[in-house]
Amino acid sequence: MYYKYIVVAILLLLLGVLGIVLNRGHLIIMLMSIELILLAASFLFLINSIVIDILIEQIFTIMILTVAAAESAIGLAILVAYYRIKGTIAVKSLNWLRG
Amino acid sequence: MYLLVILAPLMGALTSGFFGRKIGEKGAGIFTSGCLILSLSWSTLIFYETTLNSSTTYIKLWRWLDSDLLTTYFGLQFDSLTATMLIVVTSISTLVHIFSTAYMDGDPHLPRFMSYLSLFTFFMILLVTSDNYPQLFIGWEGVGLCSYLLINFWLTRIEANKAAIKAMLVNRVGDIGLVLAMFAIWEEFGSLDFSSVFNTAAVVAEGPSTGGHITLICLFLFIGAVGKSAQLGLHTWLPDAMEGPTPVSALIHAATMVTAGVFLLIRSAPLLEQAPLALMIVTIVGSMTAFFTATIGLVQNDLKKVIAYSTCSQLGYMVVACGISHYSISLFHLMNHAFFKALLFLSAGSVIHALADEQDMRKMGGLIKSTPFTYTMMIIGSLSLMGFPYLTGFYSKDLILELAYDQYYLAFAHWLVVFSALLTAFYSIRLIYLTFIANTNSKKEVFMHAHEGSWNLTLPLILLALGSIFVGYLTKEVLWSFQATLPPIIPISIKLLPVIFSLLGATSAFVLYHCSARAFSVPTSPISLASYAFLYSAWQFNYIINYFLVRNVWKLGHLMTYRTLDKGVLELVGPKGISDRMVQLTQGISNLQSGLVFNYALIILIGAAIFISGTVWPFY
Repeated sequence: MYYKYIVVAILLLLLGVLGIVLNRGHLIIMLMSIELILLAASFLFLINSIVIDILIEQIFTIMILTVAAAESAIGLAILVAYYRIKGTIAVKSLNWLRG
Repeated sequence: MYLLVILAPLMGALTSGFFGRKIGEKGAGIFTSGCLILSLSWSTLIFYETTLNSSTTYIKLWRWLDSDLLTTYFGLQFDSLTATMLIVVTSISTLVHIFSTAYMDGDPHLPRFMSYLSLFTFFMILLVTSDNYPQLFIGWEGVGLCSYLLINFWLTRIEANKAAIKAMLVNRVGDIGLVLAMFAIWEEFGSLDFSSVFNTAAVVAEGPSTGGHITLICLFLFIGAVGKSAQLGLHTWLPDAMEGPTPVSALIHAATMVTAGVFLLIRSAPLLEQAPLALMIVTIVGSMTAFFTATIGLVQNDLKKVIAYSTCSQLGYMVVACGISHYSISLFHLMNHAFFKALLFLSAGSVIHALADEQDMRKMGGLIKSTPFTYTMMIIGSLSLMGFPYLTGFYSKDLILELAYDQYYLAFAHWLVVFSALLTAFYSIRLIYLTFIANTNSKKEVFMHAHEGSWNLTLPLILLALGSIFVGYLTKEVLWSFQATLPPIIPISIKLLPVIFSLLGATSAFVLYHCSARAFSVPTSPISLASYAFLYSAWQFNYIINYFLVRNVWKLGHLMTYRTLDKGVLELVGPKGISDRMVQLTQGISNLQSGLVFNYALIILIGAAIFISGTVWPFY
């Protein structure tokens, strides 16, 4: 019955992952993809919470939302600082640390 | 007293070697000669006691190799053979020492030279007095080492260096034979002492399967003798050893080095007697050596090389005598040969000394006027070498020829040695004619200053000349008594043959060079030129060995073992290959870390997927 919701959540998660991996453009898209992954995860939690009727997963979801907000705030701060130094936020140019 | 005969030369060598700067050139000469005279007098006494009074003496010194299976002592054995060898070695060596003080006078390294000479004598005495094979081997290697040092005495000359290395290496080939023989003897007899081995030789040879082993042992021993005594195949080092000073040649060729091989055969006589096949091979190789080196001696132009090839030839006679089981005759010829060969070499040294270090016979001649004494000495030595009746060589050389005829199944060996007697006479007279009688070819200033040496140059010659005349006659009864030797009953014509041949060779040489010298200078056909070149270059033995053996071994060493194996395969699978591969691998791995964030994300993703599937998969 909740199968469709789970499929949607997993598809969202995969989309987010592909957004990180295939993205050659701006860092902002990468941050947005991370947000998408986190949202998909929260969605899965909520679905599971309904399915097995346990409240703790909703608490987890709220905490994930908090962490996601904090993460995007710090991420954007890093991004801004990086932009000040480098003058661009293209992911391709982010290759100073080669192995 | 018995020990002193060994220790005196060692003392001389050590003193002259280590304190040569203290005692000076003259002091070194006097001291080493004095030590040798001491050794000579003791060895005469030993000869009297052990041989004439027939009291063989054994001295056990101390344990050397001590294990369950093999116990070897340092031990000395003085029997007739050892005593005879001692007389030969110490007397020749003493005279060579005295001669060297005159011949090498003015050489800045005289103490070193005398030290080496004494050390040589010491090792030779150690060789002949040992009572087991390993101790004999010490002396064996020691004389090899000393021959290296002495041939290389003028160590700034590249030719001397090459000759010394050649002598050392060719000798090593034979030494391997001796080592293998020792292993085989140990396996077969369980002991390396002469007394144990020789007393059980007959019993062991009786065994059902061991006859072949004895033959093998004897062949290995013979390989050792071939190397040391310069028989066919390994003889090439001996003519090259002429690069050393003349007294060294006298010592190496007359008394010490080359006689060691024959001594080994004589010493191992009880073993050889059990191996008829080995004896046959010994005879064949010896007779071929005698003939082949005599033909080379015909055309050599270097004064010393002629005598060197005659040494090879005479060693062939000794080996033949061993091969036909007449060991005491072989020893007899060894002793006589030592005297007249030392005389010939020292006379050649005197000639070279008189002519300001000229060795080429083509640049000599006419010395009979200026150095009649040396001429006389050379004549005595050569006549003795040719086996002229009633001189020393006659008593042993003709006997060997007769005994060889007696072995009817080896007729070919007999004819080879008889013909080499003819050739011996030819080249001896050729040497004397070109050096002393022919018109001179030397420079005027050299010829004007040709002179006899001082007393210490001539005294050894006089003593050796006396030896060359009388030793054979005086000692023949003694030496024949070592082993029952009956002169064979053979036709009178065969008995006379060697003397006739010798006289024929001598006369033809004299006539050819004196009356029809033009026979040598007529325009020659290519065939005779080629044969002359063939003989002059010693049957191309050096070329054959260098071209087919040494060059290939060098190639093998460089291309195969060095470049292909050591620097090739082993490097690839070994240190260099592994380190290269590791560097490549780590480079590849660290290239994964491209610095691009999305690649990291992909790697993390794949890693996480693998991890999850790895942890989840087993449970399905």
